[in-house]
Amino acid sequence: MKRKAMVLVSTMLCSQATTVNALEIGVILDAYHKSESTALGGRTEGFGSSHSELSLSQEIADVATAHLALVGEWNEQESDLELEEAYLQSAALPGGINVTAGRFLADIGYLNATHSHSDNFSERPLLYRAFLGGHYYDDGVGVSWLAPTDRYWRLSAGAFTGDELGEEKSESSIGTWTLSTEFGDDIGDNASWQMGLSYLRNRTQSSAHHDEDDHDDDHDEHGHEGHSHGAEYQGKKLYLADLVWKWAPQGNNRQQQVKIAAEYAYVDDLYGAEVDHYDGWYLSGVYQFDENWATGIRHGRVNLAEEHEHDGDHEWEESRLTETSLMLSWQPTHTQRLRLEYKHQDADHMEGADNAITLHYQIGFGAHAAHSF
Amino acid sequence: MPHIVSKLLVLSLFAVVNTAQALTIFTCEPEWAALSQSLAPEAKVFSATHVYQDPHYIEARPSLISKLAKADIAICSGAGLESGWLPALQKRASNRQVTDGADGMLYLAPFIETIGQHETKFFSTEHVHPEGNPHFHLDPERVSILAEVITQRLQLIDPDSQEQYQQTLIQWKKNWQNSIQSWQQQASQLKGQPVVVQHTSFDYLIDWVGMEVIADLEPAPGVPPTMAHAQSLVEDTRKSQPAAILTNWYQNDRAADWLSGKTGVQHLNLPATVDLKGEINNLERLFDHLLSQLQVAK
Repeated sequence: MKRKAMVLVSTMLCSQATTVNALEIGVILDAYHKSESTALGGRTEGFGSSHSELSLSQEIADVATAHLALVGEWNEQESDLELEEAYLQSAALPGGINVTAGRFLADIGYLNATHSHSDNFSERPLLYRAFLGGHYYDDGVGVSWLAPTDRYWRLSAGAFTGDELGEEKSESSIGTWTLSTEFGDDIGDNASWQMGLSYLRNRTQSSAHHDEDDHDDDHDEHGHEGHSHGAEYQGKKLYLADLVWKWAPQGNNRQQQVKIAAEYAYVDDLYGAEVDHYDGWYLSGVYQFDENWATGIRHGRVNLAEEHEHDGDHEWEESRLTETSLMLSWQPTHTQRLRLEYKHQDADHMEGADNAITLHYQIGFGAHAAHSF
Repeated sequence: MPHIVSKLLVLSLFAVVNTAQALTIFTCEPEWAALSQSLAPEAKVFSATHVYQDPHYIEARPSLISKLAKADIAICSGAGLESGWLPALQKRASNRQVTDGADGMLYLAPFIETIGQHETKFFSTEHVHPEGNPHFHLDPERVSILAEVITQRLQLIDPDSQEQYQQTLIQWKKNWQNSIQSWQQQASQLKGQPVVVQHTSFDYLIDWVGMEVIADLEPAPGVPPTMAHAQSLVEDTRKSQPAAILTNWYQNDRAADWLSGKTGVQHLNLPATVDLKGEINNLERLFDHLLSQLQVAK
């Protein structure tokens, strides 16, 4: 009897080992209405869809995972389809190392590598829109390493062509490279935290001092009108610091959760602009008060510079934009979310600031990738 | 003196052997932590979730990534229960021993027959698993099969201690069979009793005992109770007078309280799994507790 059971179990063991995971297909549809256009990109006025996504994922013989994401955007001014992700990722190399190659989201900051459909607000924070074009993905290679420490500590580095960061093609073959590190842990049964530091070296343009005139020409050509995919405010160096703290009674985040997130960005050795640096920050708090409902507030600011023409002379003037968003979201089922958001902007020496109300609906079908912290 | 030295030598040898044996086991749910600890008493066992957490909705926290990175083996229910968080942990942990397909990644669902399997459509908004109900640790017979599965896998991972695992399993099974006999006696008195549930957490136990689910407070699987749905259950509940309205410790039980108030049927809030830090810290105690609570309600 016992032997029989053993034989049965071992045949099952064998049969399980040979199962091949099928291709996973996922769709996310996004629809919104926004009352006014606001400064620094994000969603445009009227009806539209900002980040609808078709994703395909396939495991390749226990060695790697192939992932592809096609992202569509439609609004009253334009429609656009972008290949946002197309990469191979190793399935755990020895020593806690992971390698990613292809087109993927750069592993910097708290939000950059996360998908925007899991965000708590309908638009990325100001600093992402100003310095990273909302989110920065590019063609390149990335390596990450998880340290064998008791406390979570991860290091990661990436090298990219740089073509997707700005509107222009990069001048060097490695247009950007990144370095980042993150730490995290729990505090008792109810809380957990994570903090990170990142650096992005931008070599897509020649140094600011050499090519000042060149760049001014570019600036005139592209301007700040309409929708832009690239980062509008760039420098040689971008530093990011992030801190996230989450709290849920007994760690049961299905019922209730408080999430506080803050990030700071500093851009140095600016391209074009004749000011010392740009910087920006945001602080957000989200309270999910039962299974279906959440509310949150986010406040942020960016300190930038704008170019003005005075009697034929180009002059740079420091500018500033602050933004406060208030949101209420309802999640009737696991796959759907309806969000109402009010946004208020204040600007100094900058155009386009406005207040807006956005109603945003999102629904997912099929396979849904597991979210990171 | 030489005697003492030889004793010390044996002791230190034993210690060396012991450290080599001490497996680090990561389990997704506390029931498998309790069972693994019984089957591998030497092992260091860590459970990613506990009885107060809904195992469908766990975040891929940094602390869990670190724990999985150091595991020799991971034991999880499977059947889609952890699909919202385990893949993210595996990706970040970069531990070759516990990636899908590796010997150290043990999903238990494929080794038993799950109840409630069904076809899912791509354009469906329900949150259900085609693989069936993943809360199968509440059937003593299935647990018995899975104890063998876990032992087999431990023997594969840690071949030096094969015999030890075998002996532990034999002893465990003997005790478990005895327990099953006493649970069967309790169950016989509950057979045929109707019950109202919230989610399918207790379905395997209800099936094994032979009780009958007459209503579910969830309007659709995985969707939290609504007032309108609870209202629609009042009449049926009054008419059939079930033994109890069952909720578990991680759920919001407002709807169950409300229905209980409307119908006079008792609301029973029970642990859906073992409470590793509390009194009901193994599967034997869990079944004892659940069956005695149901007995009292009846």
